[in-house]
Amino acid sequence: MVFKFLRVNTTTGEVKFERVPEKYLALGGRALTSQLVSDEVPPTCDPLGPYNKLVIAPGLLSGTNAPSSGRLSVGGKSPLTGGIKEANAGGIASQKLANLGIKAVILEGKPAGSDWYLLKVTPEGAELLPANDLTGKGTYEVTAICRERYGKKVAVITIGPAGEMLVPAAGVTNNDSDGNSSRYAGRGGLGAVMGAKKIKAVVVDSPTTFDAPVKEPERFKAAARKFAQILQSHPVTGQGLPNYGTNVLMNIINEAGTLPTRNFRFGRFEKASEVSGEKLAEVAVARGGKATHACHPGCVMRCSNVYPMPDGKVCAPIEYETAWCFGPNLEIGDLDVIAKLNYICNDVGLDTIETGCTLGVLMEAGVIPFGDGEGAVKALEEVAGGTPLGRIIGSGSANAGRVYGVTRVPAVKGQGIPAYDPRACKGNGVTYATTPMGADHTAGYAVTANILKVGGYVDPLKPAGQVELSRNLQIATAAIDSTGLCLFVAFAVLDDPEGLPTIVEMLNAQYGLNLTADDALNLGKQVLKVEREFNLKAGFTSADDRLPEFFSLEELPPHNVVFDVKKEDLDQVFNF
Amino acid sequence: MEVEVRVFSGLEKFVPGAGPGKAILVQVPEGATGRKLIEQLQIPADQVFTMFVNGWHATPEQVLRPGDRVALFPPIGGG
Repeated sequence: MVFKFLRVNTTTGEVKFERVPEKYLALGGRALTSQLVSDEVPPTCDPLGPYNKLVIAPGLLSGTNAPSSGRLSVGGKSPLTGGIKEANAGGIASQKLANLGIKAVILEGKPAGSDWYLLKVTPEGAELLPANDLTGKGTYEVTAICRERYGKKVAVITIGPAGEMLVPAAGVTNNDSDGNSSRYAGRGGLGAVMGAKKIKAVVVDSPTTFDAPVKEPERFKAAARKFAQILQSHPVTGQGLPNYGTNVLMNIINEAGTLPTRNFRFGRFEKASEVSGEKLAEVAVARGGKATHACHPGCVMRCSNVYPMPDGKVCAPIEYETAWCFGPNLEIGDLDVIAKLNYICNDVGLDTIETGCTLGVLMEAGVIPFGDGEGAVKALEEVAGGTPLGRIIGSGSANAGRVYGVTRVPAVKGQGIPAYDPRACKGNGVTYATTPMGADHTAGYAVTANILKVGGYVDPLKPAGQVELSRNLQIATAAIDSTGLCLFVAFAVLDDPEGLPTIVEMLNAQYGLNLTADDALNLGKQVLKVEREFNLKAGFTSADDRLPEFFSLEELPPHNVVFDVKKEDLDQVFNF
Repeated sequence: MEVEVRVFSGLEKFVPGAGPGKAILVQVPEGATGRKLIEQLQIPADQVFTMFVNGWHATPEQVLRPGDRVALFPPIGGG
């Protein structure tokens, strides 16, 4: 099979397949989106203008039977941060693109007119179709219509009304096997970039899921089987994640005193267990939902869930960060309210973390009282209507803070800080401050060694060792994000010396290469260098690699700590 | 002496009266360690992966003090 780029010029309407140039053949996922953005997007361009591009890429292992390898990377220049962005999603689109031999879909240019389009991709080719009839509709309805029109098994990559309105907290979603349009490449406003290209949806129809080309099938099969065993035998990936999903974190982060509560004022929430993964599993199962569920076929960790809501709809899944941002962060202790807020975000097309941080800022400003679930739902429902308050919510936490004169705004590079307070989980604080992505917990998930005691232990309350921890995790994450493997494989890979070599063995068998573990880490370093270089050219300086001031001024109970990793040390993170 | 114990993520099945996040008060001898508490609660030692005492990571050898808030977890992850 010849690997292809599918390039769509939205200015002219031209759709063409290109043979992938040599330099991109060994790249996938985040490595590919970031390299393409670096090569083709001027760093100082307007994120919503004709020079930005939206790049959608499966990972290197996606579309094979490597376990948990169906992650999708979406890249571009972020309207939220002004820097480079890779947002990573589950769902079924990645495997389908890979099975069609498509290494990346590149949406470029900007149409002059007001018409909207749908990009349809099948084994026969690709075409732009009129899609004005889909505009204004939520992602659930768009996905249902597309599955009706093009077949139940298609993947639908789409944006909601928020993306159409070009608000900077808009995400790009795709669906799981059940048709839930909830698998978001949520962060950084890439939904607005897709909206600027006037592409409402990309429909991917592939008859196969696991048949991406593999050079040495027997060797690959053996390595994939071994990797599945590594995941299944590690207590976190084999038991913890399948049993309770990611929201199992709620209680341990609360006990560790690093659960941001009431817009990052406290480190514990008295109703944490009411919105935890244990409670979620209990309620979901009692209502006929599921406590474990795979976001894409072939995942062995199955950390997703299906939560039936009182109104008869289902929210699938409720992730930890979402439960946190609409729960403890807003002092809301009711899973049904969290599910409702989550569902509205999925439907209207907003990143949940950013939206939760923004609602926290609005509560800080007194626009909505803390703990007022009904008020939060009502405010969020205004986004679809495009009211001024709705647009402020869609504009993200940093913008909302400016509008309302709030200084306690948890954001770095304009992107909201997720569910681990950087004062009592300092390794994640280093990651939030320094990752080229803006505050992003996944970019270097130091919660592992700080709280979960996976991959060693570094005291979360002291600055010592955090820079090195974050650096190593950021490098490893950039590599994993390029493979299409779910980042959660890291829980096993960090502890099992066979983990990384087995990933490398899969890559070698698939592509006929002779990579070593060092090559994989060098790929991670290369990705970070490319991303950081883009940001420097876009105008970022070391002043952007800092946490908001209040984290060093206000002590976080119960440990009464501030963020005290030195600025000079933060500037050493990329010294490799 | 009395300590305040919370068990999570499946460990509650070993402890009568415990629910996820529900604090139970447990009488332990003066000078008891975390390991002693786990034994007394009849939780299999290999099921406990992480112990917090007052929000700080603790080893099984840590000596408990009256009124300590103890939290016990099996291996978990997410993110």
